Amino acid sequence: MAVPLGAFIAVSAVLFFIGTAGVLVRRNAVVILMSVELMLNATNLALVAFSRRYSSIDERGSVFVVFIFVVAAAEVAVGLAIVLSAYRNKPTVDVDEIRQLKG
Amino acid sequence: MLDLIEPALFAVLTIAIVAAGAGVVLANRITTSALLMAFTFLNIAGMFVLLGAETVAMFQVLIYVGAITVLILYGVMFTPQSPRPYGLFFQTQKYWAALLVVPIAIIVALIAFSFRDSATVGAKGGDLLPLATSVFRDFAFPFEVASVLLLAAMVGAIVLVKRDED
Repeated sequence: MAVPLGAFIAVSAVLFFIGTAGVLVRRNAVVILMSVELMLNATNLALVAFSRRYSSIDERGSVFVVFIFVVAAAEVAVGLAIVLSAYRNKPTVDVDEIRQLKG
Repeated sequence: MLDLIEPALFAVLTIAIVAAGAGVVLANRITTSALLMAFTFLNIAGMFVLLGAETVAMFQVLIYVGAITVLILYGVMFTPQSPRPYGLFFQTQKYWAALLVVPIAIIVALIAFSFRDSATVGAKGGDLLPLATSVFRDFAFPFEVASVLLLAAMVGAIVLVKRDED
């Protein structure tokens, strides 16, 4: 007995919500990056599940997942670099204390 | 008996993913968050194996559990983590934000949880051959663009963190 597709989609939605909540309520910039990674993983899960469901056509969903891997790696590298250079300007990683743009 | 192995594995992986994901958001110590994030990634790789996508699972372990977790841990190491009683933070515009987020969340939840598909998904043979065929035949140009993007991200990261010589 295999698991229905809807179950995978539900798990993916729950993980996406958890990641969104993390982005919205955490104050540490590094944890916000981690939450973004959780959201990307949730979408990957949904894409692979759909791709396996319709794999009689082809494996398009998994190709998108591979490209999301690339973009996630680029995103986390540049994100951490921005966090580090922001820390050099103002010694904090709390997003509620980085408010130089506030008028 | 053998029929129940896949649902049982799915249940275990689901509990681990949701618990570890919630731990990432709720844990106050940032190292705990990072390691729980790695654990979540590992369980997602298990989900991919359950779906029969072994190649994607292997990429997941290599890139997420290996590279991205190490990168995040380096970020934790290079930035001082000021101890706080609690790490959560609600912005002053939280009511407006909630007004925006809650309807979208309800719509997404309705769609995601009302999704019914009588067909089941599971291992139907490996995914390496179709994946490789797709990437190198239909998506050859996006593949090259992705490599340029990685190069640009690498150069950008180096430029951003490089200290000025003075």
